[in-house]
Amino acid sequence: MPLLNEFPMPVFQIDGEPVEYEPGEKVLSAALRCGKIIPHYCYHPGMSVVATCRMCLVDVVDLGNGRPAPKLQTACSVDASEGMKIETFNQKVEEGRKLVNEFFLINHPLDCPICDQSGECTLQDYSFKYGSGKSEMDYSKRVNGWRDIGTFVALERNRCIQCSRCDRFTREITGTNEFGMFNRGHELAVDTYTDRPMTNKFQGNMADICPVGAITEKEFRFKRRVWKLKKNHSICTGCSTGCNVTIEHDRNEVFRLKPHENQSVNKWWLCDEGRLTYRKMNEKKSRINQPLGLIGENLEGISWEKAYGAIAERIRELKPLPHEVLALTDTHASNEELFLIQKLLKEGFSSENIFCPFPTWEQSESDFFINTLITTDKTPNRAGALALQIKGDQKNKKLKKAIEGELKVVFILGNPFENELEFKEIIKRTQLVIHIGVFHNSWSEMADVVLPGQFYSEKEGTYTNKNQRVQSTEIAVKALRRTRPEWQIISELLQALGHKSSFESIPQVFNTMVQEAKAFTGISFDKIGGFGIELTKNTKDPGKKVVPEMTAI
Amino acid sequence: MLEETLVLFKNIRNPKYDKSLAGYKNTGGFKSLKKVFGMKPEEVVQEVKESGVRGRGGAGFPTGLKWSFMAKGTGKPSYLVANADESEPGTCKDRELMLKDPHLFLEGLMIGSYAVGCHHAYVYVRGEFFPAIKILNAAVDELYADGLLGHDPLGSGFNLDITIHTGAGAYICGEETALLDSLEGKRGQPRVKPPFPAVSGFNGCPTSVNNVETLACLPFIFSDGGVESFKSFGPQNNSGTHLVSLSGHVNSPGVYELRMDVSMKDIIYEIGGGIRNGKKLKGVIPGGSSSPVMKADEIDVLYNFDDLAKIGTMMGSSAMMVFDEDTDVVKLLHRITRFYAHESCGQCTPCREGTHWSRQIVRDFLNGNGSEEKLKRLDRVGGNMLGTTLCALGDAAAMPIQSFVNKFPEEFRKYYATT
Repeated sequence: MPLLNEFPMPVFQIDGEPVEYEPGEKVLSAALRCGKIIPHYCYHPGMSVVATCRMCLVDVVDLGNGRPAPKLQTACSVDASEGMKIETFNQKVEEGRKLVNEFFLINHPLDCPICDQSGECTLQDYSFKYGSGKSEMDYSKRVNGWRDIGTFVALERNRCIQCSRCDRFTREITGTNEFGMFNRGHELAVDTYTDRPMTNKFQGNMADICPVGAITEKEFRFKRRVWKLKKNHSICTGCSTGCNVTIEHDRNEVFRLKPHENQSVNKWWLCDEGRLTYRKMNEKKSRINQPLGLIGENLEGISWEKAYGAIAERIRELKPLPHEVLALTDTHASNEELFLIQKLLKEGFSSENIFCPFPTWEQSESDFFINTLITTDKTPNRAGALALQIKGDQKNKKLKKAIEGELKVVFILGNPFENELEFKEIIKRTQLVIHIGVFHNSWSEMADVVLPGQFYSEKEGTYTNKNQRVQSTEIAVKALRRTRPEWQIISELLQALGHKSSFESIPQVFNTMVQEAKAFTGISFDKIGGFGIELTKNTKDPGKKVVPEMTAI
Repeated sequence: MLEETLVLFKNIRNPKYDKSLAGYKNTGGFKSLKKVFGMKPEEVVQEVKESGVRGRGGAGFPTGLKWSFMAKGTGKPSYLVANADESEPGTCKDRELMLKDPHLFLEGLMIGSYAVGCHHAYVYVRGEFFPAIKILNAAVDELYADGLLGHDPLGSGFNLDITIHTGAGAYICGEETALLDSLEGKRGQPRVKPPFPAVSGFNGCPTSVNNVETLACLPFIFSDGGVESFKSFGPQNNSGTHLVSLSGHVNSPGVYELRMDVSMKDIIYEIGGGIRNGKKLKGVIPGGSSSPVMKADEIDVLYNFDDLAKIGTMMGSSAMMVFDEDTDVVKLLHRITRFYAHESCGQCTPCREGTHWSRQIVRDFLNGNGSEEKLKRLDRVGGNMLGTTLCALGDAAAMPIQSFVNKFPEEFRKYYATT
């Protein structure tokens, strides 16, 4: 294969700077890729070009043949060509944009103070930049009214600027066709067909791509002004796809999840189910907020030192043999946590009795990329567990043997096998049950020691998605005061049991894992970056099933 | 005395002409088609280029050149679509052709199809033309019955089908890409160009969209000595005869077939018989409602594409609307702006907002709320639409506004000076 450098990409100029483009690429697309700012409303890189908003006007001072274009061109529809020279900020362009922007504003309600898009509204931004500050429109504005269009989004049509992004979204991205443009001319309005509500599972994206406040998320509306929100890059943990998200939060409360562009995972999109996982991040009631120990008959709050001390003491007393120790984990745990609990068993007890549930899961097979995002595996790190060779489901023979044998010490991470009452019956009788988890559940009720962990949004970690792509999360919100991240808890348990290995940070755990676990060979924490990195050695997921397209609920 | 030059109207002006297939054949019909079937398609395109025929739909783009842009070797079928969605206010020439001599047009369509290698041609007829739709369908049936359409007409080895498709009543569907969208069954909205229809048109295939009158010229061009005589009908680059839809305050309005080297003055005063009731001329809209208006003192100009372009207006679809001294220009402009506000498809911003806004401003004058400031604003709103829209409708709406305001400002002032 020839090196890419042998065939350099052709170049054209924007404001005197060379910009590379792929043959057939439009000027706006190449400009945005290179970080240039050209105002636009209707253009979206994921959808077809309609060139209807007329905002992305640029001056083509040289078409590549030494001659200028006769009038201002829309950057979204002009093909970039060798030697072309574009100016995005001369007087002619500014004038042109000002004129077009005026047309947007004459019928747009200036209700920014009560509009939820305010702060992330491109019309607002461009009006500040190009608007005249004074309206010459002295007639009453167009009124189309609001519409209840679906379960997830609200439509306020007076604010609509008819960019048709939402219309194209349902036609080109979800393929559900339930949204359209109605009437014509001045009365052009968006709506659902014959008053049918929308049912697709990706409505939230329509709120994202709406450049103004016409479509907003019902879930987020009127809760917080967007300029107050702080943003952290993370991964959606709602299913095994691992869509990249931005957690938007203020005063330690998460308000919404927004998709973060990652061409290898979710492109620009996120499903509604994923968006709703933010609720769990604010859940306080069922959280375990401090270490608990069984004192007498009841679980009572104890200090971390006391908890570790008690565990170490009990284990010293019990002197468990390898087959008398068991760890059950779920695949909500990050790669590092799974690796460490595996290490805990191996180094602490020379045991390999670690299991997690592995139900089969489905992914739909669809012509539309977005419909393949949702999987029925609602945990984020099944592939990570597979890569670390943690196996097991309720029918697994080794697991059965381990459970039915003489158990002395059981570690439970998270909420595995939650419906296996039989397991629970057996484990209840075990002498020492240690539960590490975020929420109270039936495991924490039967445990002798409960160690409070932290939720995704509160800790760092890496997760391996269904395509074996390792991606990392950032700390978004502050955790409860007396909780600790699970990886730290397990590492401290190892120390309490008298082992030397101590881990201070996620990168350190990750890089140790790379050395010790074969599947992660060849990557390092630094290489994960913003977009993740695929495992070099792909492990096959035996539980994966590709099924014909999911039908809308 | 100026007289018509009968090429397209040769049969129509014959009172004994029977528009049936037999009647058309009696006048020498389908001879040109036979001749064309003996030529190579490239030769046909070359011949059309030679004749210099320009599109009669309004833009005046050379037809031969348009056909030569058709993508070849794409492995996709090519299409020829006849644009019979004649809806420019003032224009009624294609209707005449379709009603009174459908076979002339259909022969032209067949010649064109052969030239561009199209095996399924469409006629997109304006939905309101009920009689024309009926007549065209009957004519196509006749052609099928006679073996001129379908498999191997005239032993040429060239298969051709023609479908008559009716529009649903939108002016914008006369724009070629909107027409193709509508033909595909979508909402009729102009597409982004490029790609032009010659590369990606009907269903993504190379397509040529041609006006009815343009296609009707073809049988004459391919008759014996046709190219030379066709070129002789007008000055350079404006060859052939064209159908002028003369309407308004003239004594004898109607559709006339004229050479391209005739002055507008002669058309109004000789063909049209002068202004009715002996009034004076105030102005002329020379090429359908979208062309800039001309004042009475500007009409001493040859009525063809280039000469009108030189004085800053356009011939468009050769629909001349004449108005006399009693005409209220503001009301006229209000009617025009109302039309464009109603017919704008709404997808692109300057046209959607501008057509409606300009209509509101003109209405203000009629309601006695005009002012000097509003006159300036009207001119500015028109100017903002000009050249900034996706298709030509924005320009079509802007040009009359700007020309009316600039040429008849005193008419607007009358409205607010007196109140």
